[in-house]
Amino acid sequence: MRMGKVSEYAFINAKLRARIGVMQSSSLFSDMIKASTLNEAVAALKDTPYSNLVAVYAQTGDLQQVELALLEDEIKTYREVISYLKGKETGLIETLLEKVEIENIKNALRLWYSSVVRSHQITYRSSYIYKNEIVHPVDYNAIINARSYDGVREAFSDTIYDEVFSSFSLDAIKEKGLFPLEIRLDHLFFDRLFKAIDALRGEDRDVSSAIYYVDVDLKNILLFIRYTFYHHLSSDELKAVMIPYGHVYEDIMRKRVLDKRDNIDDVRAIVSRYYRSIMTDLRDIRKNDDDMTSADENANHILMIEDYLAQTRKKEFMKILSGRPFNIGIALSYFFLYKDEEKMIRSILSAKFYKWDESRIREAVL
Amino acid sequence: MSLFTRKMRLLTAVVLDEDKEKVVKGLLSRGVMDFIHIEGLDPEMMKKIRKNEDAPSISELSEYRIRIENLLSQADHRIPSLSSSDLETTEVLDLDKLRRFIERLTVSTQSIKDRQRLVNQRYLTHEEMLRYIEEKKNEYLDIRVGRVPSRAEDFQSRLSQLGSVIDSDGDDLIVLSFKRESGRVDDVFDKFHWTETSNADAQKGALLKAKARLNILIEDDKKDMQALRDEIKEKIGERIDDLEKAWLNVRIHELCGSVESYFSYTKNTTLLSGWVPEDEYDSVYQAILEATDGRCIIEAKEATDVERQSVPVSMSSPKILKPFEHLVNNYGTPEYGSINPTPFTAISYIIMFALMFADLGQGFILLLVALIGKAYYKKNPLKKDGLISRYLCSLLMFLGPASMVGGLLFGSCFGFSWFPALWFNYHSVVNGRGGNGYVNDIYDILGITIKFGIAIIFLALILNWINLFRKKRFFELAFDKNGLVGGAFYAIGIYIGFAFVASGYKTIPTPSWLFPVLLILILMIFASEPIDYIIKLKKGHKEKVSQLIINTLIESLITLLEIFSGFLANTLSFMRVAGLGIAHVSLMTAFQDMADMTGSIVFSTLIIIVGNVLVIVLEGLSAGINSLRLNYYEFFTRFFTGRGFAYEPIGLEGRRKAN
Repeated sequence: MRMGKVSEYAFINAKLRARIGVMQSSSLFSDMIKASTLNEAVAALKDTPYSNLVAVYAQTGDLQQVELALLEDEIKTYREVISYLKGKETGLIETLLEKVEIENIKNALRLWYSSVVRSHQITYRSSYIYKNEIVHPVDYNAIINARSYDGVREAFSDTIYDEVFSSFSLDAIKEKGLFPLEIRLDHLFFDRLFKAIDALRGEDRDVSSAIYYVDVDLKNILLFIRYTFYHHLSSDELKAVMIPYGHVYEDIMRKRVLDKRDNIDDVRAIVSRYYRSIMTDLRDIRKNDDDMTSADENANHILMIEDYLAQTRKKEFMKILSGRPFNIGIALSYFFLYKDEEKMIRSILSAKFYKWDESRIREAVL
Repeated sequence: MSLFTRKMRLLTAVVLDEDKEKVVKGLLSRGVMDFIHIEGLDPEMMKKIRKNEDAPSISELSEYRIRIENLLSQADHRIPSLSSSDLETTEVLDLDKLRRFIERLTVSTQSIKDRQRLVNQRYLTHEEMLRYIEEKKNEYLDIRVGRVPSRAEDFQSRLSQLGSVIDSDGDDLIVLSFKRESGRVDDVFDKFHWTETSNADAQKGALLKAKARLNILIEDDKKDMQALRDEIKEKIGERIDDLEKAWLNVRIHELCGSVESYFSYTKNTTLLSGWVPEDEYDSVYQAILEATDGRCIIEAKEATDVERQSVPVSMSSPKILKPFEHLVNNYGTPEYGSINPTPFTAISYIIMFALMFADLGQGFILLLVALIGKAYYKKNPLKKDGLISRYLCSLLMFLGPASMVGGLLFGSCFGFSWFPALWFNYHSVVNGRGGNGYVNDIYDILGITIKFGIAIIFLALILNWINLFRKKRFFELAFDKNGLVGGAFYAIGIYIGFAFVASGYKTIPTPSWLFPVLLILILMIFASEPIDYIIKLKKGHKEKVSQLIINTLIESLITLLEIFSGFLANTLSFMRVAGLGIAHVSLMTAFQDMADMTGSIVFSTLIIIVGNVLVIVLEGLSAGINSLRLNYYEFFTRFFTGRGFAYEPIGLEGRRKAN
């Protein structure tokens, strides 16, 4: 192993492992779930690294302000890790931060869509959008306040998103909704992600591509199931939706599976080659109008596959944590665990806001 | 203060069930018993014993306590502390009633929170509008001046729902809206037959007026939010006495439950057992007697009658040495009956720090930081520990003066030699300007720290010998690498080393006694495995002779290697004390040189101040860490096994680590 790698990752490895060490135990989540009100659930965060959220909630009583504070913390965390890294590895983490930016853009776009296309009132809701620069100089105020699609497009001029937004029009969005635009943004993210991975060298590249190839494969499987069985997209539409990376996509394209009329067996064969564990669930999913399988049953199988996706990723990251410490894997594992924890907190607080009972929350989040 | 860990005694008592509650409270108010589960009785007897299955769930009680604490903290109210008198006023716990009480209060505070959310949303709308005006993003706003012929109140109410701000200007109305809401706002204008004013002046001044109105509204929103926060405090404040009372009651039941979880029961009696420090035994004995009016059986067992590993360890260091006890506990808990390392750690840590960070002025700054920090935390007892924690302040109370004494010995104040050194001038020696005849160059400083290291290592060996003697582990005392044989090897090594240096690094001394003694020591090392074999054989553990031969060869060679390399490395490690001291002087000299080069009194003063700050922070941290490292690795590893477990009695403050 090169000494450069050791010196580069020694500090970040120690720092992030220490942080992983103080991540919250399940007892915190259990206390939050048991809390009888949202107020009590937030109070459970008092002596944790999330104690700033207690202050935000005490000040405003507003859960969405708390969620905004969580997003600010997340962005800060990415930037902090970037500051510890040097060279091409920062490019990969910056690209991951772009994913946060894309989600923020989608939120702003949905507000705009709600206001302009669907003529809904958005007043105070715009204040819950993070408006400072995340990676690229996106003008969020311009998006939210745009009266036309041109106004939205202008908000992205001089950014990497310009090309995507230039290829859409208000009419297209009115006709098909935001979905195609959001898919294009996701594709842009994956393009940039795999470029950033390609720019890495040696172990960093191997670790990153191993993680994200599996990630993109499982996402493609889910996209295929959703948009074939539920939304009945045509093969061309499906091609546009699927993420053009990963083993599953490559095999589907090479075998021209989407061009065939009845393609489910081919897809099953491809999936079984790479991910045997999800075959049972995949086998049981059927087209609703072809047989007696209920939509609920299918949704359940999809949930199982999503759960498999989460478990596979968790296993991968845990393997990285117990393996060689001097590569980008430690940062990727940290972000995964951090986001996992943050998502759990968000979900519980949100469930408390909607007054879900304890057992329902447990079923949904644990 | 005892040089050794506190002597413990195991108290076992049998009391009648009817006296159990009084006994529990009596023991809680003393708070010195580390409870254990009854074990090791006759199997027939054990069959008759049952656990307390009717006791309320402690986790449920803890949950209620936490909920009460949350409510108290929302009212900025401190969590009460328990006193012995509270034990007398304990009431029967009605969990249903308690749940209803907490639930009612929680729900009512949540409803205020929901109102607070609505005010916050209003505030966010106003704040966004004001921001657009201030940032001159008027294209996002729509301002109109005019009037409606009738139903002005309805008109205003409808617009307010759309986030618009309305102000009056004479007979006219000024309406400020988001342009993004214009479709819905226009509908309202049309519905109420809005007429735009033709007064150009009114149009011009409208934005300023709207801005002023927004400022007022934002202030109102802030006041409303504060009022709601106050309302929560008031709401909880109204029930503060009930909450405190409930907290005390729940806490007492929780503690009693925790104590009782260790009890065992026969048909009519309760059995309890726990470790008590010998000097507290009589008070606990008395407490049980008083609680039962003498209707009890109490038995005591000396710690010497049970396995050492099963006795909890309490150290009786003076309160002043608590910061160093903390350092010791971070490493581990000493074995029962062994030497308390705290006073030795305190002395060695302070000396090491003083040698590495010797400066009267910088030491004074450390002391000042400690005093300010202590005063701050005393004034703000609820404040969480910051970067300079309570513990660091306590430690700096020692390290500051230690550094000051070091500064006096070596004639250094803020890096300057403003007064004559009591021992030798560190700056002169490091900068090659000579010393006091005894210490003249860096090698002399290195020599001093090596001698200091030798003293520390010998102290550790002596402490280890005392521990082994007290534990009656005579075999280890004689043959272990940290036993007498290891000590003898080390002494000979030091003799050879010093004689070699004294000869100008030319000859290794070979007195007539050296080789016979070395031979005896080596033979002792080689004999240790066979002797151990014979001891085990006598106890009935049989091993193969071939295994013994292999073990003897391998173990003995490894032990010899460990003795030579271990002692050498540990001794040389103390050169870091000189290294840090020299680095300290060199850094200050560098800053002085930089200051001299500026030729300006202002810049040179600035450089000296910045230099001192940097040195205090970085060197101070480095000296502290290295002192800790020397204690942990060079000192503790020779006598401190860390195999003990801490004495944790349950009292009114809960279970606490007595160490």
